[in-house]
Formats: sequence, C-alpha cells, structure tokens
Amino acid sequence: MKDGSDGTATDAIEIVGLDKVYGQGAGAFRALTGIDLTIRSGEFFTLLGPSGCGKTTLLRVIAGFENPTEGSVRISGEEVAHLGPNKRQVNTVFQNYALFPHMTVAQNIGFGLRMLGRSRTEVAATTAEMLRLVRMEELAQRRPAELSGGQQQRVALARALAPHPRVLLLDEPLSALDLKLRKEMQGELKRLQAETGITFVFVTHDQEEALTMSDRIAVMSAGRILQRGTPHEIYHAPTERFVADFIGDTNFLTVPVVSVEAGAAQVELPGGRTAPARLPEGARPAPGAKVTVVIRPEQARLVPPGEGEMQGEVTSSVFFGTDTHVHARLTDGQDFVLRRQNAGELADPSPGDRIGLALGDGVLRVLKD
Amino acid sequence: MARRSFEVRRIPGFGAIAILTIVLLYVPILILVTFSFNAGRSQAEWEGFSLQWYRAAFANEQVQDVSIRSLWLAIAAAGIATVLATLAALGTTRVGRFRGQTLIYALVNQPLMVPEVVTGIALLIFVASIKVATGYMGMGYLVAAHTAFCIPFAYLPIRARLETLDLNLERAAADLYASPVQAFRHITLPLLVPGIAAGFMLGFVISLDTVVITEFVKSAGQDTLPTYMLGQLRRAVTPEMNAIASLFLALSLVVVTAFFLVSRRRGA
Repeated sequence: MKDGSDGTATDAIEIVGLDKVYGQGAGAFRALTGIDLTIRSGEFFTLLGPSGCGKTTLLRVIAGFENPTEGSVRISGEEVAHLGPNKRQVNTVFQNYALFPHMTVAQNIGFGLRMLGRSRTEVAATTAEMLRLVRMEELAQRRPAELSGGQQQRVALARALAPHPRVLLLDEPLSALDLKLRKEMQGELKRLQAETGITFVFVTHDQEEALTMSDRIAVMSAGRILQRGTPHEIYHAPTERFVADFIGDTNFLTVPVVSVEAGAAQVELPGGRTAPARLPEGARPAPGAKVTVVIRPEQARLVPPGEGEMQGEVTSSVFFGTDTHVHARLTDGQDFVLRRQNAGELADPSPGDRIGLALGDGVLRVLKD
Repeated sequence: MARRSFEVRRIPGFGAIAILTIVLLYVPILILVTFSFNAGRSQAEWEGFSLQWYRAAFANEQVQDVSIRSLWLAIAAAGIATVLATLAALGTTRVGRFRGQTLIYALVNQPLMVPEVVTGIALLIFVASIKVATGYMGMGYLVAAHTAFCIPFAYLPIRARLETLDLNLERAAADLYASPVQAFRHITLPLLVPGIAAGFMLGFVISLDTVVITEFVKSAGQDTLPTYMLGQLRRAVTPEMNAIASLFLALSLVVVTAFFLVSRRRGA
C-alpha cells in the first residue's frame, strides 16, 4: 500500500478511491478527489491542511454525515459507506462542541450509551468514569451554558469517548480556545489517547499542533492528499512544494541537475559547487534539467566568506532572541533565509556583509514537479 | 464636523407623531376599561366606581355560553394548527432544497395575505355546499376555518426557532447512535418547545379574536364572544360590554405576555 500499511482488517480505517462531489453539471464542486488512506488501530492520525482543503469533508464522510460520491470506507474492516452515522462505531468531537443545551453535563456524557440501550447502572458507571477521566466530577449537574470553553471541550470529549468508539474523530477541537488553554488541551488529548487506546483522527490547519501531537500526518490541499508520513518525514522529506511551504519555513532553490544515481542526484548549487540531493520516489530527472530543491533555514550554517557550499551577501538580519534569521542573496541572485541559533551572545551580521553558507550532509531534497 | 448616521429621532415632527400614535392606540382602550367600572350607564360621564357591570356579565348565561365556546374553539384550532405548523416547519427546514419550496412557504402563509372577507365569503360558499350535501351543522366548520387561519401564526415562531437550532446538535445525536426518531424526540423536540408554545399562544389569541371568518362560517347558535358582542352592540351600548371587553383584554394580555416570556427563553 501507498502508505506502507499491510491493509489487514485490523486497520481502524481504510478508505479507497474516495471522491466527494457537491452539485451537478457546471456548478459541481469536487471536495475530495481520489482519497486512499489507511489509518492504523491506536494511531493518532492528523489531517492537516488550509481551510477549504477538504479535511473536514473527509472527516464528515468517515463520521457518516456525508455520503461519498465514489469509493469505499471501511471501519475495522466493515464497509460503512452506505450506513448512517448512528450505525457507525465512530464518535465525533465537533468544532463548536455541539453539547445538548437542555441536558446536564452527566446527561450529555451518558447520551450515547442510553441510545445504545445500555442499562441504567452501566450508563451511570461509565458516566462517572468519563467525568473522572476528564476531571469534571464536580460539574456533573451543570448545564453546558454554565461552563467555560475549556470545560465544554472536556465534556465534548467525554461524551464522544463514553460509548468507547473504535475511532474518535476530532474536528479542529482546539481552534476556539485561547493559546494557553490550547497547549494544555493538546497534552490532555495525548493523555486521553494513551489511556483509552482509541484511534484518534484529528483535523487541524495548525502545522505545529500536527507536528507535536501526531503519530502520522496526511497533508491535504484542494481535495487531495499530497503526502503522508510521520511528523519527521513530513518536515524533513517533503515531496511537494505545497507540503514544504505549508509546514515550517523553507528555502526553495532552482538548480540544474548534473548527474543522476539511484535515489539521488548531483545538483549544481548557486556559485558552481555540486552537492547530492535526494530524489522523490520514482523521479528521474535528466542531467541538465532544472529542479527545485528545499533546505530548511536551520539546516544551513553561517560560515566565514569563501567557506561552505554557497556564498552570499546579507540583505537583512532579524533578531528573535533564541535565534536570528539572516536573509541573504546568493551569488546567482536567488534569496535564502538562514536561521542561526544564538547559543552565545553573537553579533548579528549586517546588510552588505559577505557570508558563506555551509549545508549539513544530505539535507537537500528534490521536490516532485 | 462629525458625520452622523441617520437617526429617526431627528426628523421634524417625530415627537408629535409618536405621541399621537400612542394616544390613538391606547387612550380608547383606557376609556373602555375605565367606564367598565362606571356606576352609571353613561359612556361619557363618570358616576362613581362600581363592579356591577362585571357582576351582570358573569350572571349573563349567554355570555358564559359564548365565552366557553370561544375558549374551546381557540384551544382546538390553535392546538391542531400548532401540530400542522410544526410538521410544515420541519418539512421546510430539515430537508434539502426542493422544487416548489417557496411556493409551499407562500401557501402556508396565504391567510396572512388574502383579505379576511374574501376568505370568509369563499368559506361561506364552500361550507354551505358541504352542509347541503351532508346535513352536518356542527362546530367542525368553525374549528377547520380557525385552524387554517391560525397555521401561519403558529408556523412563523416555530420555523424561526428551528432555523436558529444548531444542525450539529442533531448530527451529534446521530453520531451518538440516536436513530432519526430518537434524535427528534430527545434533541429537536425539547429544544423546539419554546417555539411550539409561542406558536400555540399566538394561534390561540388570533382565534379568540377573529370576527369576520366566524361571522361567515357560523351556523345559528354558534356565536363566539366577539360575534356575540358585535350583535349586542347593534342593539344597545351598555357598560356590560365594556366589562366583557376588559376581561377579554386581560386574557389576551396574559397570553401575549406568556408568549413573550416563552419566546425570549433561549437554549434552556
């Protein structure tokens, strides 16, 4: 399989050839195109992308709020594309929480179990357990309107976890919280996932949130999945320009290919030095062809002029405390940003200074066209 | 120079028009209520405080008769209209867009737009032909006519309430294993209660108050309070009518106040 899964029935979610089209004819809108995705059991999986990329639509298709136009959706091996949301063992944490305003916190949490026809004692016991899990025991008899945003968030989590679903879907659940609370809830979510062992599918547009929380990430744009992998793979080995640009800061350099070996190419850097650059899977550019390589700002070091792989002239320096961003123009006129850690009290380079840029071993990546 | 936004209070004559409007609206009512407590028969001369006209009204069997008929007619018509209006509101907000949606909206609200006299005459002819065909002369005609007239008044607050309900609440219920019927019973309906109560009360007041349609549709001996009062006033104007009207006003005020309180309640 594309994402390296063995595709057995133990996978939490398996999506094949999924399309979602709204409307018909000329006014039709393709929200999702050719989605193939396998999410393993117990994984913290993140759908990452800008607003309008289709990540929420994909989540709603998994939940059953939207029917796929084409393709299949399996949950724990069972085909569910034709089933309503009440027939799927997945629960959702909504962006606006969607707590039932006329019920108490405890009634909200017990709702799913009551609908499943569980006994009174089981509902009461699980509700109490969930209240403990999200540390809301004291507020069990409150109404949602009497809770703060963070507390509502916890109730929404407890309500969705109470029926012990196979998969928990989270639709940008932290976006309504302020920064401090968001950090706190990020840790809380990781803890809950570890304690319950439930597969989490998390939707966010916040790349930092995705990097810090996920086991694996799928980066989406314009209704397609562009790349999937661990946070390390996504950050260090982006295969598409969009992915490299969306996650972290990146330098893009257009360089000619000198020669091609298995999986790597020698490229000619600005200034004439050659360096190896890893090729994306299946790519074999011809020698002489221009390709785009990416280098993260922290992967280049500031060295005295004449040393290093590339030479440049400083155009500006921006001091951030822990590091300084040095903007430079390379010898062939391309721009480059370098991030220098301020380990000691170092002087920032001034505009007009000539500098050398040293690249770490194997940091260059060639992007897909 | 500060550019000021348009403000209606700065239009010349605003104060005068406002006062005139309030006087025309409320002074007649005030006079009516005042003279219902008059000791004499005059509608223009105050002769001292008395409750005699209220006593007379309560002792009048005909008044009791028509009042009870009015009340149960209003309850029946508003009740049926509320059920139908709830279904109509659900049918026009909880489904995808469909052809003829606007037409249905217009049809539901037709009684608000067609002059009452036209509806009255149309009903008169329609009802007469049914009476001839079936021989049935009961209250069914009035109940049906009032129900039709009450539907839009019940429909509007219910629809307004449904439109402000977060659709995610129903999705969350479905996500938590509620069948469509369970989701409606446990989530939509309880949250809709303020709208339904408001719709019922509005329909109740409208039915209680309707003269024209009742006048055209009623058979002999089916007078409601307003048509009875109209009939009495043709013969003689007595302060007894003032007393009845004042009581009528008090009842309407109670219901309208309840409507206001209920429709103001949000979310709870």
